[in-house]
Amino acid sequence: MAEKSYNWSEVANNPKYLELKRKKRVFLFGWWIASSVYYFLLPILSGYFPELFRIKLVGVINFGYLFILSQFVVAFFVAIYYTRVANNEFDRLTEELVRDIQ
Amino acid sequence: MFIKMLPAMILTLLMTTSVLAAEPVKAAPQAVSAAAAPAQVSTPPVAGPVSAVKTPEPAKSAAAPAKVRPNRVITITMFLAIIGITLCVVVWAAKHTSSVSDFYAAGGGITGIQNGWAIAGDYMSAASFLGMSGLISLYGIDGFMYAVGPMFSFIAILLVVAEPCRNAGKFTLGDILSFRSSPKPVRAVAAISTVTVSLFYLIAQMVGAGKLMQVLLDIPYRVSVIGVGVLMVAYVVFGGMKATTWVQIIKASLLMTGTVLLALLVMIKAGLNPISFFSDIVNNQLIQDHVRMNVLKDALPKPGFDYGQRFMEPGLFLKSPLDQISLGIAWALGAAGLPHILMRFFTVPNAKEARKSIVVALFINSTFFFLINLIGFGAALYLTPQMISSVDKGGNMATLLLAQHLGGGAGSVGGDVFLAFICAVAFATILAVVSGLVLAASAAIAHDVYVNIIKDGKADQRTQVRVARITSLFVGICAIVMGLAAEKENVVALVALAFAVAASGNFPAVMLSLFWRRFNTSGVISALLVGTVSALALCLISPVMTYPQKIADDAKKIVATLEKKQAEGVVLAEKDLKALDKARADFRKNDGGTSMVGLKAPIFPLRNPGIVSAPLGLIAAILGALLFRDKRAEEMFDEIEVRQITGLGIAKASDH
Repeated sequence: MAEKSYNWSEVANNPKYLELKRKKRVFLFGWWIASSVYYFLLPILSGYFPELFRIKLVGVINFGYLFILSQFVVAFFVAIYYTRVANNEFDRLTEELVRDIQ
Repeated sequence: MFIKMLPAMILTLLMTTSVLAAEPVKAAPQAVSAAAAPAQVSTPPVAGPVSAVKTPEPAKSAAAPAKVRPNRVITITMFLAIIGITLCVVVWAAKHTSSVSDFYAAGGGITGIQNGWAIAGDYMSAASFLGMSGLISLYGIDGFMYAVGPMFSFIAILLVVAEPCRNAGKFTLGDILSFRSSPKPVRAVAAISTVTVSLFYLIAQMVGAGKLMQVLLDIPYRVSVIGVGVLMVAYVVFGGMKATTWVQIIKASLLMTGTVLLALLVMIKAGLNPISFFSDIVNNQLIQDHVRMNVLKDALPKPGFDYGQRFMEPGLFLKSPLDQISLGIAWALGAAGLPHILMRFFTVPNAKEARKSIVVALFINSTFFFLINLIGFGAALYLTPQMISSVDKGGNMATLLLAQHLGGGAGSVGGDVFLAFICAVAFATILAVVSGLVLAASAAIAHDVYVNIIKDGKADQRTQVRVARITSLFVGICAIVMGLAAEKENVVALVALAFAVAASGNFPAVMLSLFWRRFNTSGVISALLVGTVSALALCLISPVMTYPQKIADDAKKIVATLEKKQAEGVVLAEKDLKALDKARADFRKNDGGTSMVGLKAPIFPLRNPGIVSAPLGLIAAILGALLFRDKRAEEMFDEIEVRQITGLGIAKASDH
């Protein structure tokens, strides 16, 4: 395989690369932690505060059911939002960086 | 060469099957116990609806004669159609599989959307399709809560695993982990871990498949395990990743069609009004009785207590919050460390497609789990929990019974066809899941152990493909043998265990390899070893194992109650007499006995080890890396980091 070899440490110090790396890291780990916190609220709230889950909100449908549904909504939201940011920002920065190097 | 051998091989395997099939089977168990669902881990025996005995009844004594009776002709026709279509796919894929990358990664020629469907197909098991809806139909909202974990697990994959792994890896977990560490020891440990995790998962699926097919087609357990095994081996050996991918795509589309159709019919029946649908459930007398008598075991209604509403509140099935958090950790991190899921990212050409595939998979998967909730509640309302649990105590037949009911009822053409279709969907589901697992396990052996350790990476394409095929055959046969041997074992905990091992060992190893400069060989090895061993060890001393002393104690209680009745002059019914005999036998057999590791009672209180083993694996990874510093690994960090972030120098899966 004729693979182009790069000077990795040079790329690693490229300002564009550093910007991309910082942005990606903040975004990805930030959203990962935030969504995990929201996810773990489910076993914690249902296990230790079951009264909360019993509160009826719409007819017989209670907070618990809607909270479970909200987990799906949050997952959808994170997926869509990440795709947008990645497609617009991360991919653009990566392309610029690759053009810079070659 | 292999293509020519295909028909001959299949024929031989089928003949073996029929020979083995000729042997008589022992009494068919009346429950598709668990069908490999982690969901079933703690299914408590639900006492039969009419049983008035207040003592906890041993699971088998309340034999309900009711059964699911699919129309054999229609069902078998549909099964054959699925087998036919998938085998055509295999023949096509076999013609296009010549290089190693074809075999492991479908030549990198799968699109993001196709891969998304395939990942969803890899992930949605028969256990979720049948087990989770059953759980909802018997225990209400707890079953739905259970579905959130598998759905959420895609978030970690999407954000921190999929793209970096696509950028930095080639075919296997070992490729990623050995990037900047000593390749041989790391690949060896990674291969052991991959094979362990995949086999756990595989055995659970094989046993579940065997029991399910046994009930649906009324064929012996052996025949169903071997039949499923033969097909799985054929897909993987001849068609490699290409065939596996397409089998998974076909399965995912069938499964989604079935699920959408069922959910739609439920909603139409409910007048498309979710609010009145749920108030019908809460106000249903039979559901109220079920919650009161079978779940909460209140012989007399507590005044003012709303048993119907209780069905919509948590705690009927999931009793220990700490256990739920522990299981949540396994879901949240484990899926991102499962080798057969990681492997799917190498089938797409670049990180962008990998991202797209995970988003697609997440959408399919969430839709699926959301619809399962409608199916489960629909089954509770239109079939009643009493009827569902009389067919199968764990509720595993709820989806199938609902299909029959909504299609027009037992015996009607519509009911038969719809039931057969849903059975066929479950069958396709099993085939797709097991194929992906076999491929992942054999890739670890052939690519990591044979090519990179034994041959130092020097093997030509043809040899590599041949070895990969032989290994797949070997792994497949192992899976069949273990599936047969484990017929009577309690395998339901194995899937949860696979997730726990992946979360405790693979996940920290992958993450730190990609994101931490100081990480190195000893870090990888200690993470994999400590993570795997601690998850396994905790499981061995946890309540999921069988404790004969506990069975004996329970049996003793039954004996005491029934003997007391007899002493009072009550003439016992035949059913009670049988129960008494069984309890006496159980007591004699189990008294003084110990679990597999010699314990009378569990030491570790939780069923899921994740909450302890995941931190242990992470700490071991960090300590291992800090203890043995490796300058070379640190110098190479720039390379792996630039690669994973930018995709520069990405391994081209396709080289032609």
